[in-house]
Amino acid sequence: MRPAARIAVRIVFVSFVSFVSFVRCAEAQALTQRGFVEGAGWFFPQAALNDPTRVVGDFLAREDLFFKPAPWIQFAAGFDLRANSHDQVDDLWRLDLDDRGVKRPRASLRRLNATLSHGPLTIDVGKQFIRWGKADIINPTDRFAPRDYINVVVPEFLAVTGVRAVALHGAETFEAVWVPRFTPSRVPLLDQRWTVLPPEAAGVPIVDAGSVFPTGAQTGLRWGHAGSGYEYSLSFFNGFNNLPNVGQVGQVGQAGQIDLLRTYPAIRTYGADVAVPTPWFTIKAEAAYFTSPTADADLSQSGAAAADEYVLYVVQVERQTGEWVVVAGYAGDVTTKRRAAFGFAPDRGLARSIVARASYTIDPVRTIAFETAIHQNGNGALAKVEYSQASGPHWRATFSGVGIAGQDDDFLGQYHRNSYLSAALRYSF
Amino acid sequence: MSKGQVGQVGRVGRARLWGQVGLLALALFACLPLGLRAADNARQIVDEAQKRTDARSQRYEGLLQVFDAKGKISDKRWTMERLGAHGQSKAVLRFTVPAEVKGVALLIVNHPDRASDQWMWTPAIERDRRIALQDRSTRFFGTDFSFEDLEERDVNQYEYVLSGDETIDGAPCWKIASTPRESKSSQYTRSIVWIRKDNYAFARIENYVKDQVARRLDYSNIQNVQGIWTAKQLEMTDVRRGSRTRLTLDKLEYNVPLKDEDFTLQAIRRQ
Repeated sequence: MRPAARIAVRIVFVSFVSFVSFVRCAEAQALTQRGFVEGAGWFFPQAALNDPTRVVGDFLAREDLFFKPAPWIQFAAGFDLRANSHDQVDDLWRLDLDDRGVKRPRASLRRLNATLSHGPLTIDVGKQFIRWGKADIINPTDRFAPRDYINVVVPEFLAVTGVRAVALHGAETFEAVWVPRFTPSRVPLLDQRWTVLPPEAAGVPIVDAGSVFPTGAQTGLRWGHAGSGYEYSLSFFNGFNNLPNVGQVGQVGQAGQIDLLRTYPAIRTYGADVAVPTPWFTIKAEAAYFTSPTADADLSQSGAAAADEYVLYVVQVERQTGEWVVVAGYAGDVTTKRRAAFGFAPDRGLARSIVARASYTIDPVRTIAFETAIHQNGNGALAKVEYSQASGPHWRATFSGVGIAGQDDDFLGQYHRNSYLSAALRYSF
Repeated sequence: MSKGQVGQVGRVGRARLWGQVGLLALALFACLPLGLRAADNARQIVDEAQKRTDARSQRYEGLLQVFDAKGKISDKRWTMERLGAHGQSKAVLRFTVPAEVKGVALLIVNHPDRASDQWMWTPAIERDRRIALQDRSTRFFGTDFSFEDLEERDVNQYEYVLSGDETIDGAPCWKIASTPRESKSSQYTRSIVWIRKDNYAFARIENYVKDQVARRLDYSNIQNVQGIWTAKQLEMTDVRRGSRTRLTLDKLEYNVPLKDEDFTLQAIRRQ
C-alpha cells in the first residue's frame, strides 16, 4: 500500500474507532441522525445502441449519524446501502471505503469525519464533503468534489478523505485542504446507455482496462471575504482532475476488442468566485484557470496523463420572487492549450451553454421545477421537469421527465436516446 | 402690615408664581405639535418594550404549523439560538423536523444600522447560500414568515407615531405606526404595532405593502419567563394568500451560555 493510501486509511480508521468509542458512551441528546429509504424507477422510451434495457429500478438506503460529545468536537458518519436492477451496483457484500469502484458499492461508508472547533478555527479530519464555489450551474473551482456520474443527468457528490482547516477572522475566511488519497469521479458504465460509443464502434467489444489512480496528495487554499451584501473568494488547487482521460491500451486486440484505460491528469487551478446582489437579482460568477504542472517534455517521457489548459467560467443571475426561484446563466470555456485526446468531462461538456432553472413552490408540500441547458450552437439541448409532493412528515414522491436532443458529436446531444421518465418514492426518518 | 404678614404674602406670591409657571409650561406643552409629542411617546414606548426584552441570549424549540385556507397542512420544528442584544444579535435557526429538512439552518447576523446578513445551509447539497436582500420578501421554507420577518426589529431602525389606544384580546394596548428609516431596507412600507400597556409586550404587528396589509403577526400566551414577558405563541397570517403559520415556543430560556463562534458559517455546517 502506498504511503498516501496508508495515511488515508489510518485517518478513516482512527475516525471510525473514535466515533464508535464515543457513540458507545453517548448521551442520547448528543447523538442525532437523519436518513431515508428511496425506491426509484426509470423508463427510457428508446433503446440505446449499447444498452437495450429500458426500465431500471434502483434502491438506496442512507443513514447519517452525528455525535457531539463536547461543544468543541463532533463526529459524523454516513452509510449507504444500494441495489439496482441493471447491474449498476457491485455484487460484493463488503463495506466500501474509498469509492474507487467502477460500479456503485452495495454498502459504503459515505462519510466519516471528526470536526474540531476552537475559537475561530475549525478542523475536519476524515472522509468528508468539501464544496467550493458559489455558482449553481457548474462550479469550476469545486475541485475537491468528485461525483458519481452513473446517471450523467443526476450526478451525486462523493466525499474525499483528508484534512480541512478553516480559520475565520472577521469577514475573512482562510481555508487549507490536504487530501492524501485520490477519489475519482465515477464515470458511466461502458456497457450502459450513458456511455455513448461512436456508430463505427458498434459491434466492437469494449473492455474496461481499469484505472491508473494518481498517488500524490492534493492540496488547496482558499481565501473568502464576506462583505456587506457581497462575497468573493480566491482559490488555488494543486492535485488531479477527478474526471478521467480515457485512452485505448495498445492496438485493437485479436478478438477485435478495444481496451479502454482511465487516467487522471495532474492539474493546477487558479479560481475565483463572486456573488454580488443588485436591487433586481444576485449576480454570481465563478471561473478557474486549469493548467498542468507537468511540462510537455516530461509528459511525453513519463507517459503521465496530459491535461488541456483552459479557462472554465460561469456567469449567472438569481432571483427569488414570490414562490419562484429562478437561476439563469451562461457557462463558457476558452482552451489555451490542447493536449488531452479524449476524456469524460461533463463540466466542459456543459460549457458554451445557456442554462436555466426555475422552481415554483405550489404550497408547503408541493413544488415543481424546470431546468434546461442549450448549447449555443444548437447541437445539444436538455429539458427537465420535476414535480415533487410530500405526504405527512415522512413521505415524498417525485416525478421527473427529461428530454434530450441533439447531434452525436455534442456532449448533450450524444444522449438523445436517453430521454426518460422517472418516479421516486422516499421515506425520510 | 407686619413683617410676618409681608413674608406670608411673599410666600403665597411665589407659590402663585410657580403655579402660573407650571400652568404656562403645561399650556406650552399642550401647544406643541401633536405629532411631535406622539412621536416622542411612541418611541419611548417601543424603547421601553425593547429594554424589557433585553437578554444576553435566548434559546427555544419552535413548532411551526402551516395552515392554508382549508386547514392544517404541515408541521415543522426548529431550534433557535440567539446571542446578543437587539440590533447587534446573531441567531441560528435549525430545522429538526420533518426528516427531509433536518439540519437545514439559517444564520442571521443583525446590524444596528442596516439590514441583516443571512445565510442558509442546506446539508443535502453541502452548500451555504447567502440570502440576498431583494430575496428577503419570499417565504421562509414554505411558512408564512418571510426571511425579513426573522430579523430582529431594532427600535432605532424605525420612526414611530402614536396612533391611539386599542384593546387586543382584552388587553389595553398602545397603537403605534412605524415606518422604516432610509437605512433599513424593508419589503414593508410601514407597520402598525400594538404594545400592551400592562407589561409592554408586543400584542400584534400589521405589516403593510403600500396601503394594504400584507402580513399580520399576532402574539398570544404571553408569560413571564425569567422576568421577561414573552409571547409563547406567534401566528403570522399572510393576508394576501389567506394562509397562516403558528409558531409555538417550547423550552424557552434566556441568558443561556452561548459562544460567539457558534454563530458562524462554519458552525451552522455542524449538526
